[in-house]
Amino acid sequence: MRYFLRKILLLLLTAWAAITLNFLLPRLMPGSPADAAIAKLSQNGPVTEATRAAIEAQLGVPTGNILAQYGDYLGRIIRLDFGVSYTFFPQSVAELVMTALPWTIVMVGTVTILAFIIGTLLGTLAAWRRGSWADTLPTVVGSFTSAFPYFWTGLLLLYFLGYVLRWFPTSGAYDAASVPNLSLGFMADAAYHSILPGLTILITALGGWILGMRNSMINVLGEDYITFAEANGLKGRTVALRYAARNAILPNLTSFGMALGTVVGGSLLVETVFNYPGVGYLLYNAVTNQDYPLMQALFLIITVSVLIANFTVDIAYGFLDPRTRK
Amino acid sequence: MSAQTALESTIVPTPPEETLRRRRSGFVTSFLTVWSSPKARVGIVLLGFFILVAILAPLIAPYGPTQNDFARNESGGAEHWFGTTAAGEDVFSQVVFGTRVSLTVALIAGALSTLIAVVVGLSWGYSKGILSEIINFIVNLFLVIPGLPLMIVIAAYIQNGGLAMIIGVVVITGWAWGARVLHSQSKSLRARDFVTAAQFSGDSAPRIIFREILPNMTSIVVGSFVGAATAAIIAEASLSFLGIGDTTRVSWGSMLFWAQNSSALLTGQWLLLLMPGLSIALLALAFTLVNFGIDGLSNPRLREGTGR
Amino acid sequence: MTPLLQVENLSIVYEPKGDEPFRAVRNVTFSLEKGEFVGLVGESGSGKSTLGFALTRLLKHPARIEEGRILFRGQDISQIEGEELRRQRHGGFAQVLQSGMNALNPVRKIGNHFYDIFAAHGHIPPDQREARAKELVGKVRLPESVLNRFPSELSGGMRQRVSIALALSLEPELMVFDEPTTALDVLVQHAVMETIKALQESEGFTAILVSHDLGIVLESTQRVMVMHEGEIVEDGTSSQILGKPKDPYTQMLLSHYADPRAEVVELPGLTVRGGSKTVAHAPAAEVAGRIPAALDGVLEGAHDSFVVQGISKVYPPPRRGEKPVTAVDDVSFRIDPGESVALVGQSGSGKSTIAKLITGVEKPTSGTIMFGDVDVAKLGRRGLKDLRRQVQMVFQDPYSALNPLHTIEYILSRPIVNFTGAKGDDVRKRVHELLELVELTPADDYAGRMAHQVSGGQRQRVVIARALACNPQVLIADEPVSMLDVSLRAGVLALLEDLRVRLGVSLLYITHDLLSARLVTDRIMVLHDGKVVEAGDTVQVLRFPEDPYTIKLLDSIPQPAKAHARSAAAAAGAAARA
Repeated sequence: MRYFLRKILLLLLTAWAAITLNFLLPRLMPGSPADAAIAKLSQNGPVTEATRAAIEAQLGVPTGNILAQYGDYLGRIIRLDFGVSYTFFPQSVAELVMTALPWTIVMVGTVTILAFIIGTLLGTLAAWRRGSWADTLPTVVGSFTSAFPYFWTGLLLLYFLGYVLRWFPTSGAYDAASVPNLSLGFMADAAYHSILPGLTILITALGGWILGMRNSMINVLGEDYITFAEANGLKGRTVALRYAARNAILPNLTSFGMALGTVVGGSLLVETVFNYPGVGYLLYNAVTNQDYPLMQALFLIITVSVLIANFTVDIAYGFLDPRTRK
Repeated sequence: MSAQTALESTIVPTPPEETLRRRRSGFVTSFLTVWSSPKARVGIVLLGFFILVAILAPLIAPYGPTQNDFARNESGGAEHWFGTTAAGEDVFSQVVFGTRVSLTVALIAGALSTLIAVVVGLSWGYSKGILSEIINFIVNLFLVIPGLPLMIVIAAYIQNGGLAMIIGVVVITGWAWGARVLHSQSKSLRARDFVTAAQFSGDSAPRIIFREILPNMTSIVVGSFVGAATAAIIAEASLSFLGIGDTTRVSWGSMLFWAQNSSALLTGQWLLLLMPGLSIALLALAFTLVNFGIDGLSNPRLREGTGR
Repeated sequence: MTPLLQVENLSIVYEPKGDEPFRAVRNVTFSLEKGEFVGLVGESGSGKSTLGFALTRLLKHPARIEEGRILFRGQDISQIEGEELRRQRHGGFAQVLQSGMNALNPVRKIGNHFYDIFAAHGHIPPDQREARAKELVGKVRLPESVLNRFPSELSGGMRQRVSIALALSLEPELMVFDEPTTALDVLVQHAVMETIKALQESEGFTAILVSHDLGIVLESTQRVMVMHEGEIVEDGTSSQILGKPKDPYTQMLLSHYADPRAEVVELPGLTVRGGSKTVAHAPAAEVAGRIPAALDGVLEGAHDSFVVQGISKVYPPPRRGEKPVTAVDDVSFRIDPGESVALVGQSGSGKSTIAKLITGVEKPTSGTIMFGDVDVAKLGRRGLKDLRRQVQMVFQDPYSALNPLHTIEYILSRPIVNFTGAKGDDVRKRVHELLELVELTPADDYAGRMAHQVSGGQRQRVVIARALACNPQVLIADEPVSMLDVSLRAGVLALLEDLRVRLGVSLLYITHDLLSARLVTDRIMVLHDGKVVEAGDTVQVLRFPEDPYTIKLLDSIPQPAKAHARSAAAAAGAAARA
């Protein structure tokens, strides 16, 4: 119980820290992002007082009470008031983010879980049959593919499977002509569009899981309880799964959180390559156009999503390892 | 559990004390251990190759990287092995010179990240109570926040930063991993009697850190550096690909940025797509493979050749 | 009748990658009848564990059986593999590993450990499995509730009993116990050994007890095989070996074994009689002449006393909601100049905490610690450095007390440079003097070596030399010999005692081993749960204890002579009645 409470506390504290970091960053940078933002926005027409105040609350003014600004900022966050986007003026940031978020969560979420499962299985097999082909092949290939930059894998897949072979669509999450709806036809189309980006992430992320699980298994296989299990005549499969893998997966889970950050970064690149309308692509657009309100909100939502995913994994870990309940 | 039974308790019994070589010191023996791992050997050779290319770039590349008076969008051929870009530059020369950028960022950012990691990791180990908790929290924070989004956001605020900015953001997002590893290693070292003994011998705390603890951590520090360098390569490439930083500087990532922007996909210049990315992958792979060997230095179980 | 186990010319070689091959077991031949209880005794590196693992086919790469046969029930098991080997484990041979701590799967309940074994061999039908598991834990004297627990919830002793029960569930004919009680407290050790003995009698399996502890082996088993450097040097009944050992190595081992409660305790180099303590250390006469002139003037001996009054140390609870941990509870004692005092207790008794408190490594929660007129608890960094010049420590673990990257010369030079301000050649001279003092000669040779190039006993000598380098008044020795082979202990203890007497240093000797306490101390304090339960003259307390805890401690020391007298009497009685 103590373990779970501690994890909830950690989640809240880290989220607060991320929000505060978001607040501090523009204020720590040389120059005044607020002025740059206002200048940019005024290209669309005169800037109202309210808008100016909102921008200054978000990005800071050199003068003025920083604590008051902080309070103002926190207030807006709680109200989910992230302001208006410059690039997609006059759409609200919240609106844009909410439209993009589901695409990323579904595609990236599914693929990450898939990569974790497949990687863990292959890593277990590699360690169990150490030195054989089942070990060397996934390890070497995995090491190689995990060194690929996400965007490069994406470009290659895009070129060969998209442009040359024309097996898959080359951009977007769905056919440009259709409108998002919940019909089966649309779902199928969306799935079809998500294959290339998903495959890119899968290929690049898989290697890390394979190697991580393999290392973890190798360490566990050196433990006394494995020898004792063998001494007691347990069958090979029982030892490999219930005694070895079941223990080896624990350190792997703890590293899931950090690995997730990398995968999220990678998905950003992949979305850019495929023009896939998720939060990554939106962030890229925001950055290129110096659309600070959009950028801040996206950074926050990406970070909080990762934190929540981490938290979920931590909770799962608490159930899987009886030593946390000691 | 007494040492004598510790000796006997391993499933693989160790030889009697006289022939025990528990710890091999010296750079040469460490290098040989790393070299004995087949994967690490490949990595070392590959890395050596890239370093040579970077140093001898002007001699290897037929043209300058920004020389742009050639025909545009040519495919690979005799004159231009990898073809030319949409701006008329020679792709092969660009790939060769791009090695310099990647290696520079890898080594500098890797070193800086590791330096910060050592300082934080060690002082974290020495602090107690609430201070230790605070450092723990900060390290975890930087570990959990997704790296690339943070880098992009910082770069966006700075606007028009150069290589120094790229190195800066890579270090900011990269130091935490090493700090965590080094902290746990220094903690376990501090629990060993010879550290307490050094205190009883009258050695000052700085002396203990630099003469007793750090020397026993070299392989971990090196492994941490190699890991940081690997991450730096990928990070720089990703940022350049997104057009962040100075896009006029030729790096493997920026080559792909321009390639995508100028529709190399449509012109069928698959070499232009393949070569810069392959170089990134191979250089990162080289570092990763070397780290396999270094892992084996600190954890004998992972050394190759030891089957179940 | 065919013996249960016949080992013929067995040799096991160990071939680590990149190192010399090494023969751990050489040409071993012996046989065991059904129902025998045999001890396999030897020091570290003797090959006894290797042999034990070979008999149950648990040897792992890079060790392998080079030659010879292992006939179990007439069949050579040294070559069988795979499924055939696995099946043999039921009703065949079983092993109990040394570390009860790690022998159990941390993520599976105890009950499931049993059910896994039942399922793997199918010898217990599903509806009877629970009952059988309960029966088995009952045999090792554990409550049924243990089946529902995870290994992390059990103590070391309980986990070891579970391991025994699990091995027993295989209904083996041969059981190998590899150092089953080494990692345990002496009281727990005694209880677990009693259980093993009782089980062997009631279940009737053949048992091999692998151990370095001669006392336990002689008391519990009827037959003993002594191993040295891979060979069996003696094989006889326990009473025979105890009374009339034939092999010189066995004789040597026995000479290092003694009962701390005896009237006279003799070890090579040390003799302790009933009332007084005399140290007869042969080399002393030679070394005495060798004390360098430089030390003479400096040798003033101790002149300050340690006076400890009512100290307590309470640690905050490890987790919220639990109680704070009282490691030391209102302890008082004094160490006068030149005295040798033992602080005896089991792990968790607080003895190491007391060492940390009086050396200033930690501060007491209450009470005072005076050294001379200095209040140790109030010292800052500079004060502590001054204290270190007077109060030094000898550490327990020779493998972790010396930095593996430094030469011995460097290690010894640190206290010299820091405390005496000597420089250059003077430092080197002093280092050599120290090495000669602890009999590591030629000093030139040892000075240049690194820690891994000397043996465990030699390392401890370096640790002692380092402690003496600045001419301290007090030595705090925390289990200085418990990690050494028994045959090496006498030498180091004799050295310690000899130096103490000659240099006039006070000694606080902290240990769980009552024999060494008897050998080198005048007074003794027995610690239990942070409190001193008995204190007094060492010989008096060990021979005539008054406190119930002390009595319990002393009773759990193996008494092979008594055990054999008992069984001899029982046999005589049985013969008379027949």
